[in-house]
Amino acid sequence: MSLAPQAAAPAPPAALQPPTTGTSARAFRSQWLRFAVLLVITLLAMAPVLTTVLLAFRPAADSSESSLFTLENFERVLRDTDVLRWLANSLLVACSTVVVSVVVAAPAGYVLSRGRGKVVGGFSLLLFVLQSLPVITSVIPLFILFSRMGLVDNLLGLTIVYVGSTISVTTWMMAAYFDSIPASLEEAAWVDGLSVFGSFSRIVLRNSYPGILSAAVFAFLLAWNDYLVALVFLHSDAVLNLPVGLQNFFQQNATDWGGVMAVAVIMLLPPCIVFAALHRYFSVGGIGGALAGR
Amino acid sequence: MTTAPTTTRMRPSRKRTMLLLAAPSVVLLLLICTYPLVYAAIQAVHNGSLINTGQYVGLQNFTLTLPTPEFRNAALFTVVFLLAGVFGSWAIGLGLALLLRMPVPGAKVFRVLLLLPWVMPIVVSATAWNWLVATRDSPLPTIARALGFGDVLFLADPTLAVITVCVVKVWLSFPFMMLMSSSALASVEDSVYEAARLDGAGPWQRFWFVTLPMTAKSTYISWVLMAIFCVNDFPTIYLLTGGGPVDATSSLIVLAYRKVFQDFQTGPGVAIAFTMTFVLAIVSALLFSRIRKADVA
Repeated sequence: MSLAPQAAAPAPPAALQPPTTGTSARAFRSQWLRFAVLLVITLLAMAPVLTTVLLAFRPAADSSESSLFTLENFERVLRDTDVLRWLANSLLVACSTVVVSVVVAAPAGYVLSRGRGKVVGGFSLLLFVLQSLPVITSVIPLFILFSRMGLVDNLLGLTIVYVGSTISVTTWMMAAYFDSIPASLEEAAWVDGLSVFGSFSRIVLRNSYPGILSAAVFAFLLAWNDYLVALVFLHSDAVLNLPVGLQNFFQQNATDWGGVMAVAVIMLLPPCIVFAALHRYFSVGGIGGALAGR
Repeated sequence: MTTAPTTTRMRPSRKRTMLLLAAPSVVLLLLICTYPLVYAAIQAVHNGSLINTGQYVGLQNFTLTLPTPEFRNAALFTVVFLLAGVFGSWAIGLGLALLLRMPVPGAKVFRVLLLLPWVMPIVVSATAWNWLVATRDSPLPTIARALGFGDVLFLADPTLAVITVCVVKVWLSFPFMMLMSSSALASVEDSVYEAARLDGAGPWQRFWFVTLPMTAKSTYISWVLMAIFCVNDFPTIYLLTGGGPVDATSSLIVLAYRKVFQDFQTGPGVAIAFTMTFVLAIVSALLFSRIRKADVA
């Protein structure tokens, strides 16, 4: 509480200048000018999003409905396509990726954060280099390996690839968060007889929900938004997920924009819900936020 | 001072626990990330297909693939795509970050809405862009016609297709740059600006001599990361143009994909992918050491 007046201290110099009506009116005008500029840019940036949503709810040209809003596109794609199965497959893969990636990355992040020495430094470098490599390099050999093991055209195989491609970033993100938890807390617990694993799980993990959530959001969005791996690995109808399903549907029904956009809106919903609920824990590109924080 | 004794009095079981904690991720990384790299290296020197490894051919895949015009064009387009992606999105992202630092009504809402291009699944946004520009009767070509530009074929004309793909990449990436710039700008203390103002620096001078140098490290990191993202970007290009027209937008990663999964030439495809990987691994290791040094300094 005693900090508050100190924090406010730098303010007075600005307030010392008597605000004449002229300057405040100019400040007011430039505020709304900036608002207008931002509004135009935001609308332009959102044009593809708005397009998608508007087309999904707009009746087809030959439709009997005359209203501006309709759910018939959704009814049609739910009836005529496997969109629900694509959705279920995508959700299953994305959620499994999140769980496995977080469970494996949390202890590794702890080692990265608390460990010292050359080995840990090498581990850190390995993670960093692996995350920057093109997926295509690992997709080709994994495709060959997985086809021998029956993991191609299989949701488990897809999940394994996503876990592999998220793990280095989630580890880095966790390590960056664990760094912010004072080591003295743990040292006190060790003196009281708690093991290293005990202090990791009871002290560090328990205080790291924001870090864990950031890593989970990152892994979810990566698994949800990926196209290349799904395109290479998924072929038969039973395992198609939303990205490949939407793209196939688009190629076969290029004129049915209402239907295509209805599927697109279904695909857009989960990341938007996650983002709306957890945007405080959203860090750009994962590693970017981790780098900025470390 | 107080922590020194406790750290030296580390429990003997600590090292073993640390190894156990790191083990699952090390095993996974070896299996899913390192093994494929080794296998790719083997594939790169064989003339196999997706089914068998084939015969050892030395560096033939590289010497026959890398000098072709196909590869040169792809490398050139990748560089264009990278430069446009990095600097286009940086300029817009930094501009927006600066704008959002000033008092604006509804700044919080803008900040969230402006992230949508980055959060939106690429398959969805590519579909929306297709609707906006792909055919003669799409909205943007219709507007261009109404303005007297004639028939503008955004994805069918080679030059325009390159520009369109780059614009879409900038649209996708500016939120990343905006967030990176925002956090960098927030780390510069107000007193520095105040001092510059007292010394008589105008807004442009403050931007040029205070903002840019003070955020240089973060800017550098964001450039290198965005360059890596651009080189690794497959769906933006593939979903908009498929690499066409006449290979105009065929980047290295699209070329590698087409060689392996459409022409079934695993060797040349892996050779291309491996060349990219090699360059990116060096860039990324350099970046890593630069960050380490910057942290120490």
